[in-house]
Amino acid sequence: MTRILFSDKLDNCVTRWQSAGFTVIGPVTKDAFSSYTAVEHASDFDLGIVLPDRSLKELFFPQTEPMLRYTLKQQSINTEDFTPPSGKKLIFGVRPCDAAGLSIDDPLFGWDYKDEYWFQRRNNSVIVTIACTKADDFCLCTSLKLAPDSTTGSDILLRPLENNNGWHAEELTDRGREALLAIEEFLQEGSEPTAPMAVVPEMFDLDTCVAWLQNPENFESKFWKDISMRCIGCGSCTYLCPTCHCFDIQDEGDTYSGIRRKNWDSCSFALFTMHTSGHNPRSTQSARWRQRIMHKFNYFPGKFSVNSCSGCGRCSRQCPVDMGITETLQKISTLHS
Amino acid sequence: MTENIQSVHNNIYKPAIMKIVGRHDEAPGVKTLKLEFQDPDDHEQFKNNFRTGMFGLYGVYGEGESTFCVASPETRKEYIECTFRQSGRVTSALADADIGDLITFRGPYGNRFPIENFQGKNLLFVSGGIALPPTRSVIWSCLDQREKFGKVTIVYGARTVADLVYKHELEEWQNRADVDLVLTVDPGGESPDWKNKVGFVPTVLEDIAPSPENCIAVICGPPIMIKFTLISLKKLGFEEQNVYTTLENRMKCGVGKCGRCNVGSVYVCKEGPVFTAAEVSCMPAADL
Amino acid sequence: MITQEKYRSKVKKLLADGSVKMVIGYSPGSTADRRRPLFIRSFEEADQLVLDSNCIANLSGYLVTEGLLSDEKRVAIFLRPEGIRSLNILAAESQLNVDQIIIFGFDSIGREVNSLPGEHADEFSEFIGSIKENPPEKSREPLLYQLEQMNPQERFAFWKEEFSRCIKCYACRQSCPMCYCRRCVVDSNQPQWVNTSSHTLGNFEWNIVRAFHLAGRCVGCGNCDRSCPVNIPLRLINAKMSEEVLGSFNHFAGMSTTQEPVLASFKKEDSETFIL
Repeated sequence: MTRILFSDKLDNCVTRWQSAGFTVIGPVTKDAFSSYTAVEHASDFDLGIVLPDRSLKELFFPQTEPMLRYTLKQQSINTEDFTPPSGKKLIFGVRPCDAAGLSIDDPLFGWDYKDEYWFQRRNNSVIVTIACTKADDFCLCTSLKLAPDSTTGSDILLRPLENNNGWHAEELTDRGREALLAIEEFLQEGSEPTAPMAVVPEMFDLDTCVAWLQNPENFESKFWKDISMRCIGCGSCTYLCPTCHCFDIQDEGDTYSGIRRKNWDSCSFALFTMHTSGHNPRSTQSARWRQRIMHKFNYFPGKFSVNSCSGCGRCSRQCPVDMGITETLQKISTLHS
Repeated sequence: MTENIQSVHNNIYKPAIMKIVGRHDEAPGVKTLKLEFQDPDDHEQFKNNFRTGMFGLYGVYGEGESTFCVASPETRKEYIECTFRQSGRVTSALADADIGDLITFRGPYGNRFPIENFQGKNLLFVSGGIALPPTRSVIWSCLDQREKFGKVTIVYGARTVADLVYKHELEEWQNRADVDLVLTVDPGGESPDWKNKVGFVPTVLEDIAPSPENCIAVICGPPIMIKFTLISLKKLGFEEQNVYTTLENRMKCGVGKCGRCNVGSVYVCKEGPVFTAAEVSCMPAADL
Repeated sequence: MITQEKYRSKVKKLLADGSVKMVIGYSPGSTADRRRPLFIRSFEEADQLVLDSNCIANLSGYLVTEGLLSDEKRVAIFLRPEGIRSLNILAAESQLNVDQIIIFGFDSIGREVNSLPGEHADEFSEFIGSIKENPPEKSREPLLYQLEQMNPQERFAFWKEEFSRCIKCYACRQSCPMCYCRRCVVDSNQPQWVNTSSHTLGNFEWNIVRAFHLAGRCVGCGNCDRSCPVNIPLRLINAKMSEEVLGSFNHFAGMSTTQEPVLASFKKEDSETFIL
């Protein structure tokens, strides 16, 4: 026996969570484009899509975030902090890959210096994940040793019922338990059959790829040039990625007053690493693509013991020239390390 | 992640405010600023954490922040000195700032030269051009406790006589009996009254041939100088683990998050900027 | 398929006799209807060549890849009419030597692919002139009519909503053959002309600056629109600008390799006198 949330009760739950102080957020499609967006009613959710076009990270690490307001007055500078919105968020209908993305970036934002802009939001959010019953050609969670029903990063995991009329609810954390407690009266005990999980074929053997990447001799392999020749150097893969975390710090204003912001930045851009002197350690697009792959599957796991990729496939799905992690790792897995 | 913090009480991106109390033209386009903390808490934090080799992000609101080393030694923490070449947006604003103006500082960040391990050893400092500042921090940190170290040799070169920085300190070192200072300028860079050496740093280094015996070498300079100096040191018999250098890369956060300063798997901002030559030789050369 | 086979052998012949060092075309992509850019330097690579109605991307931007043409060797490239027009502009704006380029011109109606006669850019001038005189029936966007019906406030609200999704990934710029600047104005910081932040103002600044830089230069290839990962209908802005430029200056972008850039040239008979 587990607890079941039937779809027809979802709107009651949304209302209940809202009155408990949560902003309720979930996948919403507008003009054929989907993202995790705040909703008023359960009917606003689009739970039928494979996954939203935009990833979950931007609710925790927005594309532009004011950090400080400065004012200079008669030989004194006043600096005020911007605090991230402190309200509680409940994010419903998260995909397991997006939820895993958050937990992948936790250690990065927390090592030694703790980035409170990330952690305040993390602490104020409940992640209610729905396991995937469908996938598309670009999904690759299984290749990353995750699965359509992975629990990593989630507070509650919902497993769709076979009849598509509700979900089995599994609480995973204290925060998840509290969120379920709030809607207890709308849950039913029971054990309906659950729908089969999406079939996501394994696209490559990750260990083989990692071994190749870790071999220093392959750093200057011709492979990098060939695979990235068509890369146009835009930031679309990095900005849609649920784990890419690079940013820039920029001032807007003048000497006397203004705002210091944290803005998304991308290792795909030529200027990303360019020194003022003109020297650029990663001066070619192939060096930049190598950095992205190495970072995700060699450097990041070396530091934090987890790959910086949760297998959502957005990089390949959206790439203007049909590149992506899948193609690169598939090819690497066929090379001799 | 159970605590529920309601304000950014520890905003890691918030800089300290510094007052410019000294300003000195070192060479064409190169300036040194002497900075004093305005907030005693910020100063206390600096005093507790700063060790020679660490860097900071120096900023002018409205323009941004720029990364360079703390040029003053760990033995003098009442102020911060920084020396920079005016080249981009932030350094131009810093160069325009005057005594009494306020700027910002974040840091100190990164690792350090482990000078306690240098005790009882001879020290060889090799530096080129605008890269004397990081070396100078170590030099003074050691000279301020001179008795703990053996022979001190400094080899410093610049393109021209005018490009030598810290000219007043070079004179001081030249006059000290307990420091061997070897100055050189690139061929063609000498002035009519130049009495020191003419030649590139690695060549001069090989000429004076310091003994690798019980010796630590600290080298800072442009990448091309480092490359050839490492070769010279190897010829002279220095072992890679006894040679220290610093790497510089573009940085925005300084604390291992913004993702741009890594060379291979090494984050320069956190695992550097100080590395032994042995560590550098393990890094992918193509990414330097 | 017959066209495709014919082209494969043509490509091999060009490579074999040393006429070109590379052919830029299309290969199969990660799904049935996706095509990806292909750089052919060997017979094996030539065998990956596809040419069908799904080959849509304008590949001419790759011609200005740093160093590609600097050895003065020739490169062949598959181009639709819009691609040939953008090549003309690149030549007119002195970005490449058009004599180094061999064009495989093609177009498609429905699923059928037609070859366009000619090899050198100049051979297509008459054909492009005919497009100007008789624009293809297909495609004035219904949304353009709607936008024209709106008053300025409504139009502003429409674009504000669309640009609110912009994440400044610059896929529009990077995929655009006309955006070849080594350092884009938004990447300059001395002075900082444009906000780099991706907020309402910054997004407006970026998209409007780009629209103006493309006025009289956009050939309507649609690369920006297809590349945009957040589905901003960029084609509408550029199509509208093209219509304005055509109406005001009778300028149809990319007519020839010697066409003067409309917003960067001055004629005595221009109606505005402010410059004098």
